[in-house]
Amino acid sequence: MNKLLEDKKAAVIFLAPAFLLFTLILFVPIIQVIYYSFCNYTGLTKPDFVGLKNYIYMFTSDETMKTALKNSIFFMVFSGITQQVIGLFLAVILTNLKWGRNLFKNIYYLPCVLSSAALGLLWAFLLNPKIGLNQLLGMIGVQGPNWLFATKGLIPLPMWVIGFVALWQYVGQTMMLYMAQISGISRDIYEASYIDGASKSRAFIHITLPLIRPMLVTTLSLNCIGSLKFFDLIYNMTQGGPNHTTEVLASHLYTQGFKFFKYGYASSISIVLLILCMVMTVVISKCIKVETYEA
Amino acid sequence: MMKRFISGFLAAGLVIGSLSGCGVSTNTGATQGAGGTTESSAATVKATGTEEQITWMFWDNLDATEDLITKGYKQVIDRFNEQYKGKYYCNVVTSNLEDYYTKLNALVAAGNTPDVFICDPGPNLTQYVDVGVAADLTDILKNKESEWYKTFNDGIFERITYDGKIMAVPTNFAAACVFYNTEIFKKAGVEVPKDYNDLIEACKKIKEAGYTPISCSAGTSWCLSMIAGYLCDREGGPDNLIAVNEGKLDWTNKSFIDAGTKLKELSQYFQDSAAGDSNDQATANFYNGEAAMLVQGSWAIAQINGNNPEFESKCGIFQFPGIEGGANPNRMIVKTDNLVMSSSTKHQEASLALLKMFTDDTAQRYTAEVAGKIPVTAVKIDFDKAPKQFAYISDMMKTVTGTLGFYNESLASVEAGDFFDNAMVDIYLGNATPEEAFQKVQDFYTKNVWKK
Repeated sequence: MNKLLEDKKAAVIFLAPAFLLFTLILFVPIIQVIYYSFCNYTGLTKPDFVGLKNYIYMFTSDETMKTALKNSIFFMVFSGITQQVIGLFLAVILTNLKWGRNLFKNIYYLPCVLSSAALGLLWAFLLNPKIGLNQLLGMIGVQGPNWLFATKGLIPLPMWVIGFVALWQYVGQTMMLYMAQISGISRDIYEASYIDGASKSRAFIHITLPLIRPMLVTTLSLNCIGSLKFFDLIYNMTQGGPNHTTEVLASHLYTQGFKFFKYGYASSISIVLLILCMVMTVVISKCIKVETYEA
Repeated sequence: MMKRFISGFLAAGLVIGSLSGCGVSTNTGATQGAGGTTESSAATVKATGTEEQITWMFWDNLDATEDLITKGYKQVIDRFNEQYKGKYYCNVVTSNLEDYYTKLNALVAAGNTPDVFICDPGPNLTQYVDVGVAADLTDILKNKESEWYKTFNDGIFERITYDGKIMAVPTNFAAACVFYNTEIFKKAGVEVPKDYNDLIEACKKIKEAGYTPISCSAGTSWCLSMIAGYLCDREGGPDNLIAVNEGKLDWTNKSFIDAGTKLKELSQYFQDSAAGDSNDQATANFYNGEAAMLVQGSWAIAQINGNNPEFESKCGIFQFPGIEGGANPNRMIVKTDNLVMSSSTKHQEASLALLKMFTDDTAQRYTAEVAGKIPVTAVKIDFDKAPKQFAYISDMMKTVTGTLGFYNESLASVEAGDFFDNAMVDIYLGNATPEEAFQKVQDFYTKNVWKK
């Protein structure tokens, strides 16, 4: 193996496909987008370099950007907390189940493998004031709220609703990752702790939690990045409306690029999104200390 | 051996399945195309592959619709493929209305502009004209095909002409008006309102009689914006619209604020679910007899009669009423559906043949007699065959002294129109007072349009 690695020609040949793919599919487009973000670019004419104009407009004049940023951060915090807590809770419960573990695992994971577009439309129908949940509430004399079209409050009701739908859809993924990690913890450690008089809850706090920390970093990073670039449920349930109140960064980017032909400006939003994702990854990996134990 | 045979069989099945998935259906009328659009083709004639093929993009599914205009368009495509069998063939790319421009823009940006595509007048068309996507049809219409040009009604090209250049061909003409349910009006003891105050009084009586006075969609913001546009026009007249676009009048002008106040007042009489209802749902509320009035373009005739043919006999129409002390109310919001030919098409002759077929006597007669929209040519109409609503609108158009485009489509850009629409939704939802909402439009114009 070492001999093979010493052969520079072989190393180049082996690295070339991955390097080419990475460059063509990821690196070149990112550089292009960075350049477009400094341009007035309609996608149909040549990009016109305008310096920081797009970024200045974004942070000083674009009211929708402020709403989108607020909603994206809300979504990240909401998803981060709820998916971690509920995902871990489900993982612990299912790991300790003797009967029906696989059945419930599949039930919780099922929404994750379904199309977001289909689920978005399904929930939009369920929450439609004419045909959905409100009709059922109406039968018992309760007038349901405008689930997807209320606009009051710092975080309007539709954002909470979409947050809940996203939680329902993706909590299975977090659960599965935690289950994999918990399953890897040796039973001997638990048994030793029980002999020493530890209760199940103390064993969870002092054994399970420290040992699943590496997975906490992974799942939290996935949750946060996934939430920041979240698009499909928003697009299928509210299209960012009414009046942009449920706009998130990705949907705002989409509107600016594909509805108004402002590809330059949309590129600058995507760069902000990229930076946010990178910052969150660094913050999570720096804040959560991971120690490796021999489990 | 058996295992190998099964594996081979399954692999072959997968390969065949994958390959067949890549094909384009020519007789079922629906295959999934790029970008989530649906590619459909005429059911009667199949492409042989030897013809010159063109693509036409449209904002409704030709095979899954009750809309009579769409059905008429399907007939045109069928006729085209039949008449030019072996010579030309038209493939159809369809999308739902809400995503139409997004998908069209993506195709344009990718260099795959359809040979012919439908387009609204105003900023939507302007953006394709500005970047050179739309072909200049002036020479073709005025010189090469002058006989065809002569068939069109006077002034029909006005809103699709840029610096003297005709950039599209209209296929039909619609006017926005108030549809009303004559039965509900009778039960509530209401007459057709003569002015805005009458309209409010009528709404009160209809509400007392237990019906929803007006069905409107704020979920599809342009529907609400159409009422707002009428109120702005009735308050300030045509000069206001011209002046704000030229930067000579502020959006915070009293006439706009008053229009916003009236929009808020009128919106008390919308159905409870107006904030979330789509355009189709709001229209359905009306033709299902739940609401007394619907402010819509005359394209709704095709939708109403197509979905509930029995409703035709009790559907009346009146012009959006004027406001006491306001501008001349004898103006109607009108718009044409337009076909744009791509400037980069390599099939100009075939594309022109298609454009002609959309505006020939058969298609135009169908437009009026079946779908109830106004033809763009001087074709002879049998009014007995046409929907009753068509005759009402035709009579109304005879007395109209002026027209205007949709308010949001008459503004400086697609984004400006979107901003106006959203400001009106803000007023309706109570998120902003009329003053605050129009101040937002003013700020947008100051920064982005007037660039003061």
